[in-house]
Amino acid sequence: MKRAAFTNRWLPILLLVPQISIIGIFFYWPAIHALRSSFYLQDPFGFSETFVGFSNYASLFNSPAYGRAAIFTVCFTLLVTILSLGIALLLAVKADKVVRGAKTYRTLLMWVYAVAPPVAGVMGLILFNQSWGPIADLFKSLGWDFALGVHYYDTAFAMVLISVWKQIPVNFIFFLSGLQSIPKSVREAAMIDNRSTAGRFWDVTFPLLAPTGFFLLITNITYSLFDTFGIIDTVVKGEPGNNPMTLVYKVYVDGFRGNDLGGSSAQSVVLMVLVLAMTVFQFRLVERRIHYT
Amino acid sequence: MKSEIKTYTRPQIKLLLIFDHGVLILGAAFMILPVLMLLQMTTMPDLFNMKTGPSLAIGDQLDDNFRKAMFEADGFSGANTGVRMLWNSMILGLGFAAGKIVLGMMAAYAIVYFRMRFATFAFWIIFTTLLLPLEVRILPSYEIVQHLGMLNTYQGLIIPLIASATATFFFRQYFRSIPEELIEAARIDGAGPFKFFVDILVPLSQTMIAAMFIIMFVYGWNQYLWPTMITTDEDMFTLVRGIKQITQSLEGTSLPEYGRANMLALVAILPPVLIVIFFQSWFVKGLTESDK
Amino acid sequence: MTRVSILSAAALSMMASGVAAQTEITWWHAMGGALGETVNQIATDFNASQSEYQITPAFKGTYEEALTAGIAAFRAGEQPNILQVFDAGAATVIGARGATIPVQDLLTANGVEFDINDYISGVRYFYADSDDKMIGMPFNSSSPIMYYNLQAMEAAGVEAPKTWEEFEAVTAPALVEAGYTPLAQSHSPWIFAENFMSRHDLPFATNDNGYTGTDTQILINSPEIKMHWSHVKSWLDSGYYAWFGAGWGDNQTPFEEGKVAIWLGSSGSFGGLSKLDLPFEFSATYLPYWEAVTTTPTQTFIGGASLFAMSGKSDDENKATAAFFEFLTSPEVQYMWHQETGYVPITIAAYEMAQADGYYDRAPAAEVGIKQLSLPAGENTKGYRMGFYVQIRDVMNREFGRILGGETSVDDAFSAMEREGNELLAKFALTQAQ
Repeated sequence: MKRAAFTNRWLPILLLVPQISIIGIFFYWPAIHALRSSFYLQDPFGFSETFVGFSNYASLFNSPAYGRAAIFTVCFTLLVTILSLGIALLLAVKADKVVRGAKTYRTLLMWVYAVAPPVAGVMGLILFNQSWGPIADLFKSLGWDFALGVHYYDTAFAMVLISVWKQIPVNFIFFLSGLQSIPKSVREAAMIDNRSTAGRFWDVTFPLLAPTGFFLLITNITYSLFDTFGIIDTVVKGEPGNNPMTLVYKVYVDGFRGNDLGGSSAQSVVLMVLVLAMTVFQFRLVERRIHYT
Repeated sequence: MKSEIKTYTRPQIKLLLIFDHGVLILGAAFMILPVLMLLQMTTMPDLFNMKTGPSLAIGDQLDDNFRKAMFEADGFSGANTGVRMLWNSMILGLGFAAGKIVLGMMAAYAIVYFRMRFATFAFWIIFTTLLLPLEVRILPSYEIVQHLGMLNTYQGLIIPLIASATATFFFRQYFRSIPEELIEAARIDGAGPFKFFVDILVPLSQTMIAAMFIIMFVYGWNQYLWPTMITTDEDMFTLVRGIKQITQSLEGTSLPEYGRANMLALVAILPPVLIVIFFQSWFVKGLTESDK
Repeated sequence: MTRVSILSAAALSMMASGVAAQTEITWWHAMGGALGETVNQIATDFNASQSEYQITPAFKGTYEEALTAGIAAFRAGEQPNILQVFDAGAATVIGARGATIPVQDLLTANGVEFDINDYISGVRYFYADSDDKMIGMPFNSSSPIMYYNLQAMEAAGVEAPKTWEEFEAVTAPALVEAGYTPLAQSHSPWIFAENFMSRHDLPFATNDNGYTGTDTQILINSPEIKMHWSHVKSWLDSGYYAWFGAGWGDNQTPFEEGKVAIWLGSSGSFGGLSKLDLPFEFSATYLPYWEAVTTTPTQTFIGGASLFAMSGKSDDENKATAAFFEFLTSPEVQYMWHQETGYVPITIAAYEMAQADGYYDRAPAAEVGIKQLSLPAGENTKGYRMGFYVQIRDVMNREFGRILGGETSVDDAFSAMEREGNELLAKFALTQAQ
C-alpha cells in the first residue's frame, strides 16, 4: 500500500493525539490497573491492601461457581449464536425470494436492532411472569411446569430466547445484503443447473454466504458474551440467586455488588486474555478478507 | 439429483409462495408482538395488569400513563422525569456518535494519508481496543472516572465509551477504498492536507458519516451497564438506565405501576427505532459495509 | 398528599435558600417506592422544623447499589454526610475505621444526649462494635415475622403455628386440605439462615459471631440448620411449601393473591400490605421455632439498614447530621415512621408512645416485630459481623435455590456454603490487614 500522500511531520500526530489520549486514559490505564488490582486484596474503602500474588486467580479456578458460570457462558453463547443465525438465515432467504411486500417484511424484521437489551429483558419478565405470563402459561398448558427464577434451566431458556430475539435483526440484515449481492448471472446459472430450491440453496447460495456467516459468527459470539448483560440483569432482577449468569455478569456481581475488587479484577483480566485471543483471530480473518475480496 | 430437473405445477408454486409468506409473517409477528403487548398494558389500569397481565383488552389509561411516565418523578429532587431521562439519552446518543465520528475520522485520516515513522505502532495501539469491550475493564474504568471527578457528568458518561476504535477502523477501511487518482488530482491542484480533508474527503464520506452516525447513536443510546454505574444522581439518569428503576418498582410492596413502567420502556425504544426505520437504507449500508 | 407536600417543601426551600447561610447536608438511601416517599416526608419535616440546617435525601437504588455508590464516592472524596447501609454491608463499613464517625461519638460531641439503653434491646448492638459502642444509627429496622391469611386459617380450622413441628403435623396438612399452599417465604438467607440462628440462639460464626476479630469462621454447616432445610425440602416436595425464586416480590405476590396461606416476610412489609386493600383479612405472629432444637426461643436479629455518618466533613455539617439524628430518633418521628412503613420504632420512648396512643389495639399485627425483637436475648442474638457478607449471602441464596431445585443435597449445599463462606471471610481478613 503506497497510499501515503502527505509528509507533514506534526499534523498526523496532532490528528492522532485525541484518539490516542482517550484510549490511553480510558483503555490502557484501566487495563493495567485491573492487572495490578488482580494481585491484591483491597479494603473497599481503600484504607488498606495486601499483595496476594496469584491467589485471586487460583481461587477463581478452584471455584465451582466460577466454573458453572464459565460453562453456562459457553452453552449460552453457542445456543444464541446458532439459533439467531439459523432463524435469521431462513428469514433472509425467504425475504430475498418474495416480491410482494418485500420492503415491509424487511422493515418489520430489522427494527428490533434498535431495541435496548434491558427493554428486551423487561418484555421477557412479562412474557414469563409466574402468575400470568403468556409464554409461561402456554408452556404450563403443554405440561411444562415453567417457572422463571426458580428452575435454573427455565431461566436459562428465557435468557436464550430473549437474546435470540434481540440478535435476529443484525444477522438478518447481513444475510439479506449478502444474498442480494449475489450476481444475477450466478443465480440464473444455478436456476438452469439445479431446479430444486433446497439443492440450489446448499450448492450455490450457502457457500457464497459463508464469508458473511463467518464474520457474523464472531459478531454473535461477542454479542452473547458482552451485550447480553442488560438482558441478564433485568431477567434476574438484580438478585443472582441460583440463576444462570455469564462471566461478564459475574464480574459485575462480585465487583460492584460484593465489593471484592481483587477477585473481580482477576476475572476481568481472564476475560481480557480471552477476548484478546479472539481479536487476534478475527484480525487475521479480517485482513485476509481484505486481501481476497 | 443434480441432473434431475424438477418442475413445479402452478398450484405447487402458489403453495410454495404461501409458505414463504407464512414464514415471513410468523417472523415479523415474533418480532413485533412483545412490543404490542407492552403497548396494550399501558392502556389498562395497574390493578388489572397486576391481576391478569397482558390481555386483548384495550383500556383508557394511555394518556394517564403517558403523563405519569413523562412528567412524574420518584424521589426528593423530582428530577428523574421521563422528559429529563429522554434529554439525557439524547445527549448520550448524540455526544457519543459525534465524538466517535470526529475522533475516528481524524485518526483514520492520519493513518491512511500520512507517512509516519510509527504508523504501524499507532495502528496497533488503536486497534487493540477494537474487540476489548468496556465491560471487561469496567471496574478500573469506573475508578479512573471517579478519580477524575467525572461521576455523574456527561463527560464521564460519554468519553470512556468513545475509547474504542470501531469508528476509526471503519473510516480507515473506507478511506482506503477511495481511488488513489483523487489524491493525485488534489495534489496537482495544490491542495494541502487540510483542504483535501475538508473539500474532498468529508464530502465524499457523507453517506458513510450518516450511516456511522445512526449506528453509533443507537449504540450510545442503548448503553446500560456504564450509565448504571456512573450515574447515581437522579437527574443524570438515561432512559435505558431508568429501566433498572422500572424493574425495581415492579418489585415493590405496593401496587406495581405496570402502565407507567411499560410506557417508559416504549419511550426508551422509540427514538432509535424510528431512526433505524426512516434511515433504513443508510443504516443497512453502513452496517454491512463495516464488515469489509 | 405526599407529593403536594414535597412540592410545597421545594417551594419553601427555594424561598429559604434566599435567606442566609444554612448548613446543607446530604443523605443517600435505598428506600424506593412508598418507603422513599416517607423518607422524603421525614426530610421535609426536619427542614421545616428548624432553620439552621437543610437535608437533601437522594435515592441511590438497591441496598447494594447505595453501598457501592457510597464507597465509590468516599474514595473520590465526595461522600454524602449520611449513608444508609444495610445489614449485610455492616461489616464492610464498620471494618473501615476512619470512613465513618461512630454515631455515639458524633452525638455526644455535638451535645446530644445519648444512652444506648434508650434503644429497644433487639436493635442496640447490631451496628455496634465489640466494645458495645454504637457505630451506625439503626434506622429502618425490621424482623422476619409470620403473616397469615385469616380466612385460610379459618377454612382449614387451624391456628397460626407456634413451632415448626406444629406446622408440619397440623397446620400444613389442614391448609392443603382446604386448598391452599401453606407456606412461602421471601428471603432465605435472612429468614431461614441468619434468623434461624438467632431464634434458636445458635452461634452463627466464631469470634462471638464475628464481633471480636477478623479471623472469623462461619458456622453455617450445623446439624440443626441442616435438619431444618431437610424438612423445608420435604415440605416443598409434599406441597407444604412453595418457592417462587430469589426475588422478594416473587414470593410475596402469591400471598397477596390469596394462594399462599402463610408468608414469612419482614415486619417492615406491614405498611405496604395494609395499603394494598387485600381481599382477605390477615394477621401476623412470631417466627416459628423447632421445639426439638430449643424450648426457650430467643429474639431475632434485626434486618433492614442503619445510617452512618461519613467522616471527612466539616464540624458544622457534622453538627447538622447530629441534629438530624436527634430529630430522627425523637418519639414522634419514630412513631410516624413505624405507622407508615411497619418498621419497628427503635427507641423505647417511641414504642411507649405507640402503646399509649392505642395503635396496637387498632393494629395488633403491627406490634409483632417489636415484640419479637424484645423477647429474651441469648448469647448469640446480638447480631453478626462478617466481611464480604453480601457475597456470602449470594452464596447462600444460590445453594438454597439449588437445594429447592433438586440440584444438590442438603449436606453438599451446606458444606459448599461453609467452604465458600470461609474463603470469602479469609479474603476479607486480608483486605483489612494494615
